[in-house]
Order: sequence, then C-alpha cells, then structure tokens
Amino acid sequence: MNVSTHRAPEPRSGSQILIKALECNGVKQIFGYPGGTIMPVYDALVGSGLKHYLCRHEQGAALAADAYGRVTRKAGVCMATSGPGATNLVTGIANAFMDSVPMVIITGQVPSALQGTDAFQEVDIFGITLPIVKHSYIVREVDDIPRIVNEAFELAESGRPGPVLIDLPKDISAGMGEVADVTPTQRPAGRMPDPGALQAASEVLSNARRPLIIAGGGIGISDTVEAFREFAARTNIPVTSTLKGLGVMLPDDPRYVGMLGMHGNGAANHAVQNCDVLMVVGARFDDRATGHLAQFAPSAQIIHLDIDPAEISKLRKADIAIVSELAPALAGIKPELKAKATWCAQCANWKKEFAWRYDAPGEGIYAPKLLRDLSRARPQGMTITCDVGQHQMWVAQHCRFDNPLDHLSSGGLGTMGYGLPAAIGAKVAKPEATVVCVSGDGSIMMNVQELATLKRYGIDVKILLLDNSALGLVRQWQEIFFEGNYSEVHLDDNPDFAGVARAFGIQARSIKEPEEVSDAIDWLLDSEGAAMLHVSIDSMENVWPLVPPGQPNHKMMKSNPHKSGPNKGR
Amino acid sequence: MKHTLRIQLSSVEGAVIRALGLIERRGFSLNKCSVGESDGTGRDMEVSVTSSRPGDLLKRQLERLHDVYHVELVPIAIVNPNKPGVRRI
Repeated sequence: MNVSTHRAPEPRSGSQILIKALECNGVKQIFGYPGGTIMPVYDALVGSGLKHYLCRHEQGAALAADAYGRVTRKAGVCMATSGPGATNLVTGIANAFMDSVPMVIITGQVPSALQGTDAFQEVDIFGITLPIVKHSYIVREVDDIPRIVNEAFELAESGRPGPVLIDLPKDISAGMGEVADVTPTQRPAGRMPDPGALQAASEVLSNARRPLIIAGGGIGISDTVEAFREFAARTNIPVTSTLKGLGVMLPDDPRYVGMLGMHGNGAANHAVQNCDVLMVVGARFDDRATGHLAQFAPSAQIIHLDIDPAEISKLRKADIAIVSELAPALAGIKPELKAKATWCAQCANWKKEFAWRYDAPGEGIYAPKLLRDLSRARPQGMTITCDVGQHQMWVAQHCRFDNPLDHLSSGGLGTMGYGLPAAIGAKVAKPEATVVCVSGDGSIMMNVQELATLKRYGIDVKILLLDNSALGLVRQWQEIFFEGNYSEVHLDDNPDFAGVARAFGIQARSIKEPEEVSDAIDWLLDSEGAAMLHVSIDSMENVWPLVPPGQPNHKMMKSNPHKSGPNKGR
Repeated sequence: MKHTLRIQLSSVEGAVIRALGLIERRGFSLNKCSVGESDGTGRDMEVSVTSSRPGDLLKRQLERLHDVYHVELVPIAIVNPNKPGVRRI
C-alpha cells in the first residue's frame, strides 16, 4: 500500500508502536478486557489518546465494536487477552463477518517461544478464526506493527468490509523496535462497473414488464442510500428490501413494498414471486430472504449488483452481473422509462392489502403495536438495536427506519446477546442519537453483564425488554412444526428483570397492561440516563406471517392451522 | 464434478491452510494437493477437487483471500468416445 513514513523515533515497545498505529488510523475508542498476555498493551494504553471501554465479557466488547463499525462505517476495534479472552471474542467476530462489518481485533498471544507448547492460556486464535475473518495476522517482528495495522484497517474497511484479526505474541508487544510511525495515505478508488454490463442491465430493465429491485445491506454499508433512492425515483421501479436493507427506502415511498422473506410482508413476497426482472443490489440471496431457492422469483431474469465477485451466481445464477461500487453502477443503469402502470398498481394494491394491522384481539400488550408506537415517539428517529428472536422480527416489521444504519440487527449470524453491547457501541459512536435496545427475556440474559458497562460509563441506552417468559421463536416453531412438543423453551422462572437492572444501578419499570404503554414509552425515552422498561407480553404470541422452511415465499402462513383461540390469525 | 485449480499465493504464515480450509468449507472435496515454492517470493499450489458446485465459484472465493495472488481454473479435457479429438469445457 502507499504509505508516508515519519523519521525513526527512539526505541519503543511493540505496544507503544501499536497504540500509535491505532491513533494513526483514526481510532478514538476501543472496547476490550485485559488479561495476562495483552498486559503490555494495556500498559501502553494509559496516557494514550485512546478511550478504552471495559466491557464485562469479551463477547460484549466484540459486539460493541461491531455496532461501532456499523454506525461509523469505520472499523470498530476490540481487544482481549489470549486463550479464553480470545475465544470469547469469536462470536462477535463471526457476527461481523456474516454481516460484512468493518472490525479490527487485537488479541494477546503467549510469547512466540511458547507457542505450540500448550502454554497457559494458549489457544490458536489465528487458526480458530480463519473461517470468520476477512484476513488475519500473527505479528512476528515488532517493526512490522505499523504496516500490519494499516493493512488491517484498509482491508477491514475497503471493498466488502469485514473483520481482520491481529494476534500479538507477548514478546512482540513487550519487545522493543525502532520503526517509524506510518500514516496511511489515501486508498485506491473502488472498482468501477463494466460499461457493457450496465448497457445490458439497462436493456433488460427497459424491456421488463414487471421489474422489481431488492435493496440489500450493501447499500447502507457503502453509503449509497441517496444514490439508490434517486435511482428508484428515476426509474419508478418497485422496491423490496432485505432485513439489512430496511431504511434504504422510506417506508411511505409508494414504490416500496416492504421487507421480503420468512417473516416479510405479503406485498414484498408476492411482488418478488411475480416479477419478471429482479435487480438485486448489495444482497446475497440469504435463505431467510429467498425461501425455497429453486422456486424463488421463478420467472425473473436476475441482475445482480455487488462489490464481491464471489457473491455472483453463488446461490442464484445472475443473468447480468455488475461487480462494482454501487453508486457508479446505479448511475450508469439508464433504462428507457416505459409505462408499467399495471404492475405498479398491482404492487400498490398488495401493499394496501398486506398493510400491518394492529387491531389484534387479546387482552395483554400487543408487542407489534408497542414497537410501532415506540418508533413513532421520536420524530427525528432513533437507533434501534435488537437481539434475536420474535422481538427482532417485530422490530423489522413494525419499527420505522429512515436510514439502514439506524437498525442494528444480527442478520447473518443471528446472535442472541447482540442487542445490549450493540447499543453500547452505537451510543459511543453516536452520542447525540437516541439509542434503544429492544431485547427479549431469552436474549438479554446472554450479555446481561453489560448493564455494568452502561453504569460504569454512564452510557445513555434505553432498554425495552419484551418478556414472554419463553424462548419465543423456538417455542413458536415447536408449536407449529413439532406438534406443540415444547422442549426447553419455557422461562417462567425468569428473574425479576427490573430488579436486576436496579441492582446494576439502572432505573427500571415494569408494565403488563395495554393502557400503561403510552406513558411507559414516554418514561423510557424521557428518562435521564440509561433505563429499562420491562414489558410482560402473552407467552403464546407468534410472529406472522411465516414462510415455512422449504416453501416458496408466497406460501405464507398467517396463523397456526392446528390452533384456535384468541391469538389465532394475528 | 472434478476441477483443477492452480493457485499462486503468498508464503506468509497461514496462507496455505487458509486456502485449503476455504476449499473444504465451501463444499469442495480435496482429492489432490501439491505445494511448492514459486520463482518469486510466493508459493504455487495445485489442487484437484470434486464438488457439485461450479469451479469458477471456488476460483472467485479463493481470489477474495488477501494472500492469494492469482487463481487459474484449469480447463478439463474431456475425451468424447464417439468423436475423435478433445473438447475443452
């Protein structure tokens, strides 16, 4: 890479060189947890320009760095010691890998001479993480540190972003070097589209009678939201989105038909199954989005835009592939604008027909309505992080997002425990934002220790805990697909969550009646500092619609065919 | 279906195992592998794999690796028993 070097300074430790290299790459905040082999780095951290956030479990640190990376589109940085410290990072690294999040991970390692001897807290984290990193390094020379750190940031943030791991043996972090700091210079421009492919895409779209676009997570990642909205407006083509593409289109845009997939909106799923040309922008045909792949968009020609050549024809053959930065590709596709009034009207009718309803029967608090009301409560919007399960799908369905970076959800890996540390990372990255963590009673316990991090640093995160006393999504599947044979899903012995929050010094309130909701949302958002609103909901509530596994997207279940009762049909 | 790939990659620590791990992880069964030093600073690797997945997909997945400089998918020579000559696909 192109670099500019400074004069060689006095001898410094590897750790001092590392801290300086992080600063040279614009790092201000890092998340981590100290321990034996990373101690030289923590020693050098004192008095540096870096603000370190001590999370209370390394997984929390990795997931906070993930969210920081998503929100800033710069690599989030996390750090841990060797052995268990490093292995505890693994879920967070995989999470970033699956969702293409820029992250730099620094792990301590036993001294080089002890590597391979089963030394205390030795683990081959380089080997363990090979499948889940974009790249990784073991540092063998102190003087390699500036080059490796610069490369790591460039790799993490460029092209399709991802996590890059730097394993740092203790003899390197404690050893001395005389290398100069290296300031990273401007990175080379991204890949440009092939004019022939742009022309071909324009022609196919010109001749389409029922064109549709899937807006994927790549649009937010590459900061092309405005360019995409301009394209949609210019071509007047209906748009659906993936889970990670939520917020690319404004929900009330008439062209937008909602999220597709397993828990997507009926309008989106019918549109995708009936289109004749499908332009997929920054998305990767995930099985939760496509349903049964062979029957996905069965009569559509595929135009696939992505920065990653390895995504082309991985699952669905692309008739036209455009491997490039998204903005120049979108600008270069210029279809003739032919009237597609019948198709657009059909999509609009589906949107009206499948609009979410909030008049569900039942006496308790209806979570979808609560989430809709929550996201309407701040006109300037809010950043919502969530965990994984029913509440995650309800957030995707019922919260309003005007920007994809406002919706932080573990899409690819589906990491229960993401929500709270992600909210910490997001709030640290964007202190002016209202940050709400929507969690469930199963998920919150996966990283509940991070309540201590909220308290320690006074991080103003609002937690909305939807408590159905169950692992709800698993319970739902057992109800529908396993004949109600419930296995290890009941959590009716949950702790007093409000009491738990208060024990950590976080104010908390519990509600269970629908008439309490409005006031409680105001209380949560208006509270000074971190707060938790614990909401008891019906344990038998389900997420609808649901495309059963192995079925095409238009075969959506809207209720449990084997069940009757007040919740049927919600 | 069988595929043969020639891979030029860096000689840095982990480069070979990273490429081999990817091959198996992405659904390609490794039949044969040879690794040797190349003329320059890197290594040359040739692998023979079997998979129902297309070889060019594996090529593009390998090309994503930072340590990999170049990947060539070697055309498979198929002898058609009904017609003399060799058809390349």
